[in-house]
Amino acid sequence: MTTDPSSQPDTLNAAARAQIDASIGGPVLLFFGTAIFWLLFGSALEVLSAIKLVWPGLLDGISFLSYGRTTQAATASLAYGWATPAAIGIGLWLTARLCRVPLQHHKLLVSAGLIWNAGVMVGACSILAGNSTSLPLLGFPAYSTPILVLAYAFIAIWAIITFHQRKPGPLFVSQWFLVAGFLCFPWLFTTANALLVWNPVAAPAQAPVAFWFANGFFNLWLVPIGLAAAFYIIPKGIDRPINSHHLSLLGFWTLILFGAWTGTSQLIGGPLPAWLVSVGVVASVMMLIPAAAILVNLHLTLSGHYAPVGWSPALRFIVVGICSLATFWITSALMAFPSVNAATNFSDINRALLLLGHYGFFAMTAFGSIYYIVPRLTGKEWQCSTLIVWHFWLSAVGLLLGAGGLLLGGLIQGFALQEVIVTFRSSLEFARPFRVLAIVGSILTFAAALSFAALFAGILLAGRSRKSPALLAAREENSQEPVAV
Amino acid sequence: MNKTTLLFTGIFLTFGSAWVGLVAYPVANLGTMEPLLDEATGGLLPPPVSGLAVAGQRVYAANGCVECHSQQVRPDPLTTDIAKELGKRQTVARDLLRQKTAFPGTLRIGQDLSNIGARQADTNALHLHLYAPRSVTPWTNMPSYSYLYTVRKIQGQPSNESLVGLAGPHAPKPGYEVVPTEDAKALVAFMLSLNKSYPLPESPEPTAK
Repeated sequence: MTTDPSSQPDTLNAAARAQIDASIGGPVLLFFGTAIFWLLFGSALEVLSAIKLVWPGLLDGISFLSYGRTTQAATASLAYGWATPAAIGIGLWLTARLCRVPLQHHKLLVSAGLIWNAGVMVGACSILAGNSTSLPLLGFPAYSTPILVLAYAFIAIWAIITFHQRKPGPLFVSQWFLVAGFLCFPWLFTTANALLVWNPVAAPAQAPVAFWFANGFFNLWLVPIGLAAAFYIIPKGIDRPINSHHLSLLGFWTLILFGAWTGTSQLIGGPLPAWLVSVGVVASVMMLIPAAAILVNLHLTLSGHYAPVGWSPALRFIVVGICSLATFWITSALMAFPSVNAATNFSDINRALLLLGHYGFFAMTAFGSIYYIVPRLTGKEWQCSTLIVWHFWLSAVGLLLGAGGLLLGGLIQGFALQEVIVTFRSSLEFARPFRVLAIVGSILTFAAALSFAALFAGILLAGRSRKSPALLAAREENSQEPVAV
Repeated sequence: MNKTTLLFTGIFLTFGSAWVGLVAYPVANLGTMEPLLDEATGGLLPPPVSGLAVAGQRVYAANGCVECHSQQVRPDPLTTDIAKELGKRQTVARDLLRQKTAFPGTLRIGQDLSNIGARQADTNALHLHLYAPRSVTPWTNMPSYSYLYTVRKIQGQPSNESLVGLAGPHAPKPGYEVVPTEDAKALVAFMLSLNKSYPLPESPEPTAK
């Protein structure tokens, strides 16, 4: 066990914590609330897209409900309506807590939240109306993205002020991840939009930039923020410090170094210089280092104290999220080998990976974090522990069916696409049963989103609170573990 | 150097290195690529495409075609793309010069379209496939793009643009015809322009084994 101060989440007393939480409640709840709206919107479109892929006759020939548009609107509204505001909300709360300063400039954050959501609304409607750019994760047209950049600028100004005013003391590991995420996101987003959407460069140069962005959006924006939450909430939940300072350092720096270079491994054999692809392949395989460092570090922290994972919603969701992240990176590393990639690229495995990363890791970690944060902001407890149990199992089984089905189906489809004597029609027929599983998965995740929205509405609207925290299971007799939820 | 400065510098250097490699380098090199002069014919490689085909790329993007269709032929023998007759040679950066946006794609839920213009040069057949995919290929899961077409009453002579060969439930009522909108015409022009039959020195056709 380390005694390094950078492994201790914080040393605030309860009164100081409560003061910070109360001061930042409004803006953070605004970001979470709007995020949950877009989660519902995006999940509903995902269900529609999944069904249309198997039964194209459903609502066929309607422009704004055609498969290409609904699936892009779903991806974009989940990435910019749900994931990014959820990440910003989590990031704001963690920043205030870790810098140990109560919120100032309340209006800056509230305006940022409103402007951001206006931008997402314009973008999502534009995609459905037929103005998509069709670039991966950059579907919003040129007139909607500057709105998002403006909103983010407000948040960045707030974050810089708060970081500048932080109380002296060592930086906790979550703060490294926060700084990385909050720096890389605007860098990624403005570069990609400037070069691909606002004033596009010549087409031969676009592919590496587009894949640099799509991978960076996950590895250097969603992942750092999700991990910042995991590295804060896990030690708080079990009341122990992070196990190893050195593993934290290793995991952080290898993530930032290799995570940025992985994009071109999805373009093996594609129209760009071979060395760019080779670098991407190496980086994707090297991602096994941060995967191992982070997994081992969090496991050693939890080791012997896994019991609270059974009853704490926050810990249970976050642990599933971390496992999904490791699965995501291991699968990506395997798929980066050119001989494997020759078969698996262009198969449903690519869809499985998007689901595993954006939903399996980020959404699950964000659910866990919101379960932890919101009771502290509102001073109330979650209303119904049964519904939390439902939410957990619906989202976990939905993820398993969706990502698992598409991984297996994609493997078969990929080998069918590769084999010269197998017709294209066969590859479709092989993939079909697995795409039906993915429909079931998408319906379950939509139901999960509905139950989460009900819980969130419940805790905001509740007049008086339950006395005790909502736990997923009864605590063991004589347990020494803390009751953090 | 204190820890905070180290953190910021480290992030700028590590993330910046990838930015230089994957963004600045391709923009400076691939972004300034020029067409080649074809010494045999005096034309340019890749050959220029019509303005309608360029307009069609916007329709291709607007309807999310890239969600199902890739546009890249990968090299032999790493992959079987050439053996599967998706194209005669690997797609290289210069092949994309006539496009406003590159659509390499990540999925083959539908067929690769790098050379659709070489495989299917018949405008009417492409329109039929977009208007009523299952009337042409019963097993396909491609959605119908019938909203890019107008069904209208025949005034005098039928239009020479109207779709020929629509049968069964997809056929218009007697006295009516299905005509493509400007968007549909542009999209088909773009599809016809996807034809990499011209030679490029950096992408030789693999010799028969």
